Amino acid sequence: MKKSLWLFIMITFTFLLLLGCSSNNEEADKGESDDDSTKSGEQIEISFSWWGDTGRHEKYNEIIDLFEEAYPNIKVDRQFGGWEDYWDRLTTQVSGGNAPDVVSMHQFYVSDYARRGALHVLNDKVENGELDLSDFPEAALDSGKVGEDIVMVAKGITMPGFVYNTAVFDDLGIDYPESDWTWDDFVDKAYEIKEAMGGDGWAVEDGSGGQLQPLFRYFARQSGQDLFTEDGKLGFDEQVLTDWWTMWDQMRQDGVIPDAATSNEYEGLPLEANMFATKKVALLGLPANQMYLYEEQMAEGEINIVRHPHIEGGPNGEYIEGAYLSITEDSPHKDAAAKFIEFFVSNDEAIKIFKTEQGPPAGTKASNLVLEELTLPEQRAVEYIQTTVELAEPAAYAPEGVNQVETLFSDNAEAIAFGQKSVEQAVADFLNEARSILEQ
Amino acid sequence: MGKFKLFWKNNGIGYLFLTPWIIGILTLTAIPMGASLYFSFTSYDMFNAPTWIGLENYEALFSDPKWLQSVKVTFIYVLIGVPLQLAFALFIAVLLNKGIGGLRIYRAVYYVPSLFGGSVAIAILWRQIFGGNGLVNNILDKFGLGGINWISTPDTALYTLIILMVWQFGASMVIFLAGLKQVPIELYESAKIDGAGPLKQFFMITLPLITPVVFFNLVMGIIGAFQAFTPAYIVSGGTGGPLNSTLFYTLYLYQKGFTQFAMGYASAMAWILLIVIALATAIVFATSKKWVYYQG
Repeated sequence: MKKSLWLFIMITFTFLLLLGCSSNNEEADKGESDDDSTKSGEQIEISFSWWGDTGRHEKYNEIIDLFEEAYPNIKVDRQFGGWEDYWDRLTTQVSGGNAPDVVSMHQFYVSDYARRGALHVLNDKVENGELDLSDFPEAALDSGKVGEDIVMVAKGITMPGFVYNTAVFDDLGIDYPESDWTWDDFVDKAYEIKEAMGGDGWAVEDGSGGQLQPLFRYFARQSGQDLFTEDGKLGFDEQVLTDWWTMWDQMRQDGVIPDAATSNEYEGLPLEANMFATKKVALLGLPANQMYLYEEQMAEGEINIVRHPHIEGGPNGEYIEGAYLSITEDSPHKDAAAKFIEFFVSNDEAIKIFKTEQGPPAGTKASNLVLEELTLPEQRAVEYIQTTVELAEPAAYAPEGVNQVETLFSDNAEAIAFGQKSVEQAVADFLNEARSILEQ
Repeated sequence: MGKFKLFWKNNGIGYLFLTPWIIGILTLTAIPMGASLYFSFTSYDMFNAPTWIGLENYEALFSDPKWLQSVKVTFIYVLIGVPLQLAFALFIAVLLNKGIGGLRIYRAVYYVPSLFGGSVAIAILWRQIFGGNGLVNNILDKFGLGGINWISTPDTALYTLIILMVWQFGASMVIFLAGLKQVPIELYESAKIDGAGPLKQFFMITLPLITPVVFFNLVMGIIGAFQAFTPAYIVSGGTGGPLNSTLFYTLYLYQKGFTQFAMGYASAMAWILLIVIALATAIVFATSKKWVYYQG
């Protein structure tokens, strides 16, 4: 009996000790949330998360190391992963109340978070210069707004297009695509490529489904519509979606693009194994900032980029895309987080490491600074981005429920690809359900 | 007061020892379960406070084609996968029970796949085996048969996951093996004298005597298979594709809750799953009187 009592006391003590430790940390965290935490010498830790590949992780780690040198009292906890995992994890973290202080953001998902109040509104910090973005052009600053609220700051601005490898086209004996081509030209070029390739591959990956943007969004905008309206309703009609899916379905049936099972097999593969890098397809829709990765990977040829095809006589599809940084509303260290963002987008040394990792930096001084440092494919990307960004027109933010609509879009496109639904059926199903999701 | 003192004197230490466990079950199981039951009657996006909507989530489930698809996929997985896995585990256990040398090594080796569970390595391995240029198709090529891409074809994708489940038969095999060791050897000796062959011995002696072990493995297998998540999540990259053919119930639940912010809906799904598992287990228990034989 006595022995067991002792044992119990020991166990309880250990248990309490553990509990004590963890709650102490929490208190310490809260204690540091005072607004002047960055000025005092007190040690604090903020966390920062981003998506990307190994190369990017190395660059960002270097930038963070620089930041920690400049602000010895702030330690940065680093969290990173691939694109898909990143968003899955962020949702869980935000809802669990343990989101990183600084998170990477994207236009397509920002409203899901901002409209639910998960992101800190930065207007005050920007106006009083705590977060100095005076170097940012108006358009770049505006692209980080949801409504009137600044909820994110651009790391880099990019524009997507279709890329091709000159060596691959030369081997096939085909002319390079023209930058002002139409979707009809695109289809003709695809058939031409397929004929030259024979059984070795296809013209381009199946672009009918997957993500709603950029491809389908460009098509909808060029038809004078968009994915969503300003008030969060579905922005395109039956005809646009039918035209889109019919175009891809025809190419699939003619074997110009891969069949559904093959597309599925290549889904989510890393860069070095995907269809374009392994020369199974000759064209690839890609954000310009990633061009240099393929040029490094593919050894021969130059990677060039042309604009997305357009519709004869229609408006431009272009809109500003990019990667952004946000501070989460639950962050106890918003001031330190703001210092970090400012450092990331404007410190000379940091910019020289960042270069055009997620597009050229948004700040005027910063983007001029990187121009001197670039390799050839990076310069090509910057030139492309700088010309096409001029064509960009505002785009409505996605409403809440965009995740569901996107799944619906990709499910129905896949059903057509596997021959389970006709185009008419898929269009009807999609519109029906999407409207009920968006309560229309 | 006196009663309490007496109770405390007799049982107090026992309850004190239980406190860590009690704290655990309350904070990690009971309270979250209660919360999820409440959420299942609400519209809850995890950012804003839940709003009460009564039975709407449950009603919406039955008109959601994707939910029906996930139910279908899960039932196929359970109804085909569990019996196959048990039969295979029993088969290997019987072979190992023949008194071959190095039993411990074999037992360990066959158990290894169960340890891999749902690792990323398995996803890659499975894509290598059943992919378009995978091992299976290479073998089929040798016989002049053209293979399809098994993982990326909606009609076959689920069956590659069932094979994955059968391959991870180690846990039930070890339990079967323990059960087989309990069968009295003299029964086989007298059966031999009576002229019963190996097949007859298996069906007349072995199988009836290990029915309690079969019963246990069946119940655990059913519960586990209904809750299967990782195989589909990693092999399909979290999508349940191609064409939702591997959309396990729990995978859809996860997608609803964590990528589409519909935590109320996901909670309702979880409670339906709990009820279905309870029913399935109850059915197996109810029939067990007819076929499970307890010695002595």
